[in-house]
Amino acid sequence: MMRYRIVLGFFTFVFAVIVLRLFYWQVVKAEELSKLGQIQYGTSIKIEPVRGEIETSDGFPIVANKISYLLFVNPKEVKDKVNTAKFLAENLEIDRNFLENQISQDLFWVPVKSGIGPDLKKQIEAKNILGVGFEQQFERFYPEASMAANLLGFVGKDEAGNSKGYSGVEGYYDRLLRGKTGAAIQIHDALGRPILARANGDDSFGTDGKSLILNVDRSVQFLAEKKLKEGIEKYGARGGMVGIMDPKTGNVLAMATYPSFDPKKYQDYTDDLYKNAFISDLYEPGSTFKPLIMSAAFNEKLLTPQSRCPRCSGPVSVGGYELHTWNDKYYPNTTMLDVIEHSDNTGMIYAAQKLGLAKMVNYLDKYGIGKITGIDLEGETAPLIKPKNEWYAVDLATTGFGQGINVTPVELLTAFSSIANDGIMMEPHVVGKVLDENGKISTIKPKELGRPLSSATSKVMTEVLVNAVEKGEAKFAKIKGYRVAGKTGTASIPVAGHYDPNQTIASFIGFAPASDPKFVMIVIVDRPTSSIYGAETAAPIFFGIAQGLFTYYGISPE
Amino acid sequence: MKKPVLILVILIIIMISLFGVRTVVSNRISTSGVALGVTEDEIKTYKTENALLREKIFGFASFTHVSSIAAEMGFVESKSALAISRSMPIARTQ
Repeated sequence: MMRYRIVLGFFTFVFAVIVLRLFYWQVVKAEELSKLGQIQYGTSIKIEPVRGEIETSDGFPIVANKISYLLFVNPKEVKDKVNTAKFLAENLEIDRNFLENQISQDLFWVPVKSGIGPDLKKQIEAKNILGVGFEQQFERFYPEASMAANLLGFVGKDEAGNSKGYSGVEGYYDRLLRGKTGAAIQIHDALGRPILARANGDDSFGTDGKSLILNVDRSVQFLAEKKLKEGIEKYGARGGMVGIMDPKTGNVLAMATYPSFDPKKYQDYTDDLYKNAFISDLYEPGSTFKPLIMSAAFNEKLLTPQSRCPRCSGPVSVGGYELHTWNDKYYPNTTMLDVIEHSDNTGMIYAAQKLGLAKMVNYLDKYGIGKITGIDLEGETAPLIKPKNEWYAVDLATTGFGQGINVTPVELLTAFSSIANDGIMMEPHVVGKVLDENGKISTIKPKELGRPLSSATSKVMTEVLVNAVEKGEAKFAKIKGYRVAGKTGTASIPVAGHYDPNQTIASFIGFAPASDPKFVMIVIVDRPTSSIYGAETAAPIFFGIAQGLFTYYGISPE
Repeated sequence: MKKPVLILVILIIIMISLFGVRTVVSNRISTSGVALGVTEDEIKTYKTENALLREKIFGFASFTHVSSIAAEMGFVESKSALAISRSMPIARTQ
């Protein structure tokens, strides 16, 4: 019996030792050994996901993917290295010495050139060169060339050489668009030749990127870009911008910048052309800012359109500065309705002073001035608004007519759209829907940013702005039969501590039809030379686009 | 003694039957891999062709292309807007 127990104990001990040792190798050291094993029989390879596409609201892919090929060589299989290098160098237009060096390496796989089109691939394949192969890749393809380039951004490479979206939609939605990179094990035979690949755990093949459906309407974008380009050339300007939004939803219908860049050849352009000036450039808005200040005064019931200005008969002195009107014409005892119609700076100084500093700062905040709008584009900036205690009397006065204060075009358009939308300000949004790899569509709902104005104020201000279009400086450009609410702007450009008298930012902001606005639009012309005034440059571009929009949306004259 | 013999016979018959079934099934599916490979290659080719055709269609359907063709054909932009307005009332209040 004793002998039996000793034998049993011995075997139990041996069994326990084996179990413990197996636990150590299979559980504690499992990961380390697995990696060691992988190195022996294969290498980990990355599976690049296909980047999501970007469609305009009509379902047209404004940014698509196109098939291209990476040409690689297996130097161990190439027999005639000199002639192969010569043939490839001639067809691929690359340096022959570089190719000879690549082919001479002691490797199984050497990349030579990517981005090869299907025709060239067929041409090379027809030669049946041993050791030369192709790998399918996807690259960005822009069917509409550089349309909306600043809005869309571009795809470049990050530090690790992976595709990455920069600027605009590509930058903002990069994580959604790029998808998830997969990983697999490339198994080798005894001689190190690749034989097959197998999955590396769950979800290892990665997932393709999601596609985006924009609120941007391709027809509206095309029209805006065309008219802007024609206008810039006609008025001899340095550049310009157009932004069109649906005031009821905040949907961005078009955003055009000129000059622009070709996203396919982004390397050939300077950095300042990549950026979307519409969301990142600060400028003094000039008279296009007046409706916001006048609306604030109306909203506070400090003034009405019939209120008269008691100090509009000549230049106004504020804090040691003498402030003039844009054309040095003065209208004594003018009404607020006429102040907007004549774009009268002295009347706006009166309105700003009536509003007072505390309310002025409060309304700037309500309009979102000094804050980013939250538009879904990479690169949005916002100016800093001085704290109340740093404002001088002259700052309050000049802010009344849009000088001495900086805004971005998107900020002004968003704030102004509250007048068109019953006093409610909506967040501007470029992407309307997200389409996942299974075809499921997620809709992005419009978001309200706030209500800076009452419904009554917005209606009154709309009529004031309709009057400004009907009787103001830009009346020659208006479209017969349509009620458009709008305001011209001619802002001086601050240069080295003073305003340049010959260079201006000419602009026009407005919405239509006034009774039920379908769009709100801003046109900005940078340093026009044929005329420095917004009424003679930006306004005709605005009305040119508006006419096209009336036809496109089927809006009849009122 | 009869029962164990019967069980053994049944087991042997089952064994032979399963062996036969395995042989038949293996024979049937042995070439499926090749057929599957061919089908997969065909799918890949069609996908590539589709992608290339899609690229061409987008190129032709782009406004940039359509507008240049329209300009070549002599189409010009209409400068005046045509709108159908409401009909005039038969009588108006004074």
